Amino acid sequence: MAAQAPTVKTIPSKAKFRAPILEQIFLVTWQNLVTIFRRPAALIPPIAISLFFLVIYNSTLGGAAAFIPNLGANSYLGFILPLSIVSASLSGAGIAAQNLVRNIESGYFDKLLLTPIKRSALLTGTILSGAVILGLQAALVLGVAMLMGLRIETGILGAVAVVGMSVLLGLGFAGFTMSAALGSGSAAVTQSAGFIFFPLTFLAPTFVPLELLSGWLRVAARLNPITYVLQAMRAIINEGWVWPEIFAGILACVILGGAMYLLTLFALRRRTARS
Amino acid sequence: MSNREIEVKNLEKRYPGDVIAVDGVSLKVEAGQIYGFLGPNGAGKSTTVKILTTLALPSAGSATVGGYDVVEEAGEVRRIAGVALQDVGLDPLMKPLELLTLQGRLFGASRRDARARAEELMQLVRLEEAVDRQVGTYSGGMKRRLDLAMALVHQPEILFLDEPTTGLDPASRRDVWREVRRLNEQLGMTIFLTTQYLEEADELADMISIIDRGKIVKSGSPAALKASLGAESLNLAFSERESAERANVLLQSIADRTQLDRVTVRVYMNDVAHKIPSIIERLSSAELDPVSLTLTQPTLDDVFLQVTGTTFDKERTEAEIQELALS
Repeated sequence: MAAQAPTVKTIPSKAKFRAPILEQIFLVTWQNLVTIFRRPAALIPPIAISLFFLVIYNSTLGGAAAFIPNLGANSYLGFILPLSIVSASLSGAGIAAQNLVRNIESGYFDKLLLTPIKRSALLTGTILSGAVILGLQAALVLGVAMLMGLRIETGILGAVAVVGMSVLLGLGFAGFTMSAALGSGSAAVTQSAGFIFFPLTFLAPTFVPLELLSGWLRVAARLNPITYVLQAMRAIINEGWVWPEIFAGILACVILGGAMYLLTLFALRRRTARS
Repeated sequence: MSNREIEVKNLEKRYPGDVIAVDGVSLKVEAGQIYGFLGPNGAGKSTTVKILTTLALPSAGSATVGGYDVVEEAGEVRRIAGVALQDVGLDPLMKPLELLTLQGRLFGASRRDARARAEELMQLVRLEEAVDRQVGTYSGGMKRRLDLAMALVHQPEILFLDEPTTGLDPASRRDVWREVRRLNEQLGMTIFLTTQYLEEADELADMISIIDRGKIVKSGSPAALKASLGAESLNLAFSERESAERANVLLQSIADRTQLDRVTVRVYMNDVAHKIPSIIERLSSAELDPVSLTLTQPTLDDVFLQVTGTTFDKERTEAEIQELALS
């Protein structure tokens, strides 16, 4: 090296050793989002699949609208749209977990553990990045449906509520895949974990209302939290602010999300525990 | 403010299956010292570093970094220590300034200060021209330099470098050596350096501990360690092991010390250069003819050979490698 080497200066710093917890969460969220959006190819399949099913189901099953009560001014599109949004939540939920695995595999996760970052900030920031992605996906699916002629009975506020509910639900799914990511550190295992919830979308009033299901399927649907989310979204889109159904949907999201958050917290503690 | 010292007392690390990766290691690193921890692959170097940098817990013993206990005061240790591990931990999709700024902000710096510090460090490690590239496009040497910069963001008082030049080309290695020396000389930073390269330890360290199979086998300054073997050594290479063994026995009566290394006998004695004719005559009388004869200054490899009976180049058996792999 020919040039004179720069000397190390001390930058006057008001560093207090640790950033405030909210800033830590923001920084982790930002780091995850930057890297997620730098691989846009990973974002396309979940959206494409959801939109594909939206178009296919509406086209092939649209005639069933005659048997579906409470659709208001909407066609079968108003009934099937929540399924597409839930599908988007399910498939998009793995994106944050895959990013977490990437951080683990690259060693950057261990690098972060050498900073004063709180473990809860690490977890919350990663979850929030997933929430942003889920929200954008749900908004996109909803937007396409509106272009296809959907009319939301509750207006813009209802659209926001639907997107919010999909985010809440998706975070529950994301919690499970993140716990798989933390437990295994493997991209393959994490991806496989996401498929566990796939059958749930069909053990529900997926194509017809709950009242038209029978036998074991009806029992399974009653026990499935996705049932209540679908019903809540359908009420918001087609009927109005039907609060009992909406609260049931929110409660289902909170219960699922809460359980998955605890699972993820446990997995994070196991991974970051010194041994 | 820490005392910038590292103190380790009877440190042990055991893994399931009775694998002992670190076996009663004790050492002290004085403030402002570059301390070399030298040993072959699987000796226990990285495990020791993981314990000292709070990534792992010891099974027994104690250690303080900067006066802070690595178990009870891990947060304080992380505050005053910078760490560059053997595996560089960098997000390949991020750019260097993003990584460095994020690191600085996590340590509590303001956004502006963290950014300024990041730019300063990019200059220090000579990566200014690659500032707009994602880390995944960097060469191995560039990643190592950036990893070093990451370890320096929060202006640590003690720096841990775990095999910092493994896998680098000679020019990049020299760059890293230069940076390490500058950090120590300009900032008085205490540096704990693990390496499997003898010349690296010889070049950089004020004090060295040689670790093998989890135990420290010898400690001292590079000069003192080499001087303990005498001024020069005479290396006699034979065509076969049996001849070397016979020569080793024969020369033990006249040398201060001999060491058998495969087909080579190393003879340590005062003024050995002038005693070559008598040595050759003695060997000839026993019908032992060396195929080559060299006179060398003692090296750390000689020291390692003396204390462990092997050289760094000797291949371990597969079983030994598997046994030590966990460390």
